[in-house]
Amino acid sequence: MTAPAVAMLAVLAQANRRDTLVSWGWVSEHLDDVWSRTVEHVELTLVALAIGFTVSSALAALAVRHRRTFAPITWIGSILYTIPSVALFGMLIPVTGLGFWTAEIALVSYTILIFVRNIVAGIDGVPAAVVEAADAMGYTRWQRLRSVELPLALPTIVAGLRIAAVTVIGLVTVAAVVGNGGYGAFILDGLDRDFPTPIVLGAVLSVLLAATVDAGLAYAERALTPWARRRGGGR
Amino acid sequence: MGAESGGVAVSIRDLTKQYPGAPTPAVRNLSLDVAAGEVVALVGPSGCGKTTTLKMINRLIEPTSGTIQVLGRDQAELPVHELRRAIGYVIQQIGLFPHRTVAANVGVVPGLLGWPKARIAERVAELLALVGLPADAGSRYPSELSGGQQQRVGVARALAADPPILLMDEPYSAVDPLVRARLQDDLLALQAQVGKTIVIVTHDIDEAIKLGDRVAILAEGGVLAQYDTPDELLRAPADEFVAAFLGRERSLRRLGLRRVGEVRSEPAATVAVRATTAEALGAAEGMGARWVLVIDGDAEPVGLVAVADLRHHSRSGAAGRTVGEGLEPDRRPPVVDSTWPLREVLDAVLRSGSGGALVDDASPARCVITLDALAEALR
Repeated sequence: MTAPAVAMLAVLAQANRRDTLVSWGWVSEHLDDVWSRTVEHVELTLVALAIGFTVSSALAALAVRHRRTFAPITWIGSILYTIPSVALFGMLIPVTGLGFWTAEIALVSYTILIFVRNIVAGIDGVPAAVVEAADAMGYTRWQRLRSVELPLALPTIVAGLRIAAVTVIGLVTVAAVVGNGGYGAFILDGLDRDFPTPIVLGAVLSVLLAATVDAGLAYAERALTPWARRRGGGR
Repeated sequence: MGAESGGVAVSIRDLTKQYPGAPTPAVRNLSLDVAAGEVVALVGPSGCGKTTTLKMINRLIEPTSGTIQVLGRDQAELPVHELRRAIGYVIQQIGLFPHRTVAANVGVVPGLLGWPKARIAERVAELLALVGLPADAGSRYPSELSGGQQQRVGVARALAADPPILLMDEPYSAVDPLVRARLQDDLLALQAQVGKTIVIVTHDIDEAIKLGDRVAILAEGGVLAQYDTPDELLRAPADEFVAAFLGRERSLRRLGLRRVGEVRSEPAATVAVRATTAEALGAAEGMGARWVLVIDGDAEPVGLVAVADLRHHSRSGAAGRTVGEGLEPDRRPPVVDSTWPLREVLDAVLRSGSGGALVDDASPARCVITLDALAEALR
């Protein structure tokens, strides 16, 4: 994730010296836009992740409880995941028009496969003896899920969240084609005017945001699972 | 231990478990009572349904037919989570919650029962001490403990809400033999304090004999082959299967169950090595003893001689010989105390080459346990 960012920065720096690829003057005049595009980008991302996670949690619960539904759920998820994003936006515009929810439908559909797979894998990964002990202690089904299975599935679920977040941040850039702002708006502007500076700016900001969010989630996972780091000892 | 506290804690009637698709039931028409305060071991070869039976008691597995009463109530009438909170459960894989500290693991059931935090903390500290864990273990995670320590935490967790009944599913088969023996001894010591009703599943007949007040031997297909005290099982196995399962050393195992204090030892006449055969005979006949203990100048026992042998020597004209001369060298009788298992006494006697062991107790008369007495104990 950071390697392309570094490469991009290198291009940027070199271009600056020759004063052709990036006009720093233009960038400094548009700092307000950078801020408002960031807000838009983050907003689109968060809404997509929140809805995607909620829908996926329900689907994962279904898949865990009724194992037969797991294959069809992941099958549909896979189909959604493999539709090219631009094509999906194109198919949705005649139905839902341009706008926020058109973008969200597409974005959410990309997260389903990632979330469902990771939530189910996380819960499946809880050792059978731990589940049996939880039952034998007298946990109700819901108490077991909340107090035992979800905490132990957390690392796998967060791993899914990181992949989904990075994927969505990249796709929000593409979602500018349905008219929602975000960093993609810089890129569309640059393409329209044949002016490279906003194109480079949009790409770099998108990559930086993805890298930051990914690192933040990795840190959050470590903070939430202190037990996973303390190993060994004993006699 | 023992079943003195009266009453039946677990009463199993006509219990059958037929898994769908299995050709034969895992458990078939099993009826079995466990008295309150008793340790019952369920033992048998794999596929005998012992674990299935155990798990039907706390309804981790639902029976196909039959009933189980727990403390006089049909357990099928209770909400399942309430039933389980009243029954402690320990499994081989331990199943500690890896994301919770040891203290939180032990406090699980009290927490579910809604105890106040302070009371839970107090109880956790008490239990860690009871199972022999250091107080600071409470703040560690399970992965930081050794296997034996984790198993102790498992026992502490099962006992947390002071349930009257404790179920244990092969609790010690995953630890090495030395640790296992210690954990077994600790369980017996713990049981002497807490007096729970314990049902323990094991595939190890020695473990069953060591821990069980009574042992239920299950045959393949979940049929109860025999249910008796260890001593009675070993003395009179019900059939070929039970005899084969108990193995060829039944008598030795029975000796392992009894201790010196439980059998009759007999007084022996004590004479010095310099005493003559006639003097030794006189001393023995004076007190009606069948054995003469020969001691050296430091009052250490150096040999054990049967009175019958002395009479034989006497008749063949050696009445004037000292008893010391008649002794074979290096046949000192071993000295045992009343806590020794008879099996160890037998081993010591055989190794020493003498005819018996000297019992070291407070009484002024020197008493011995002879090979005859050991054989008598098995009658």
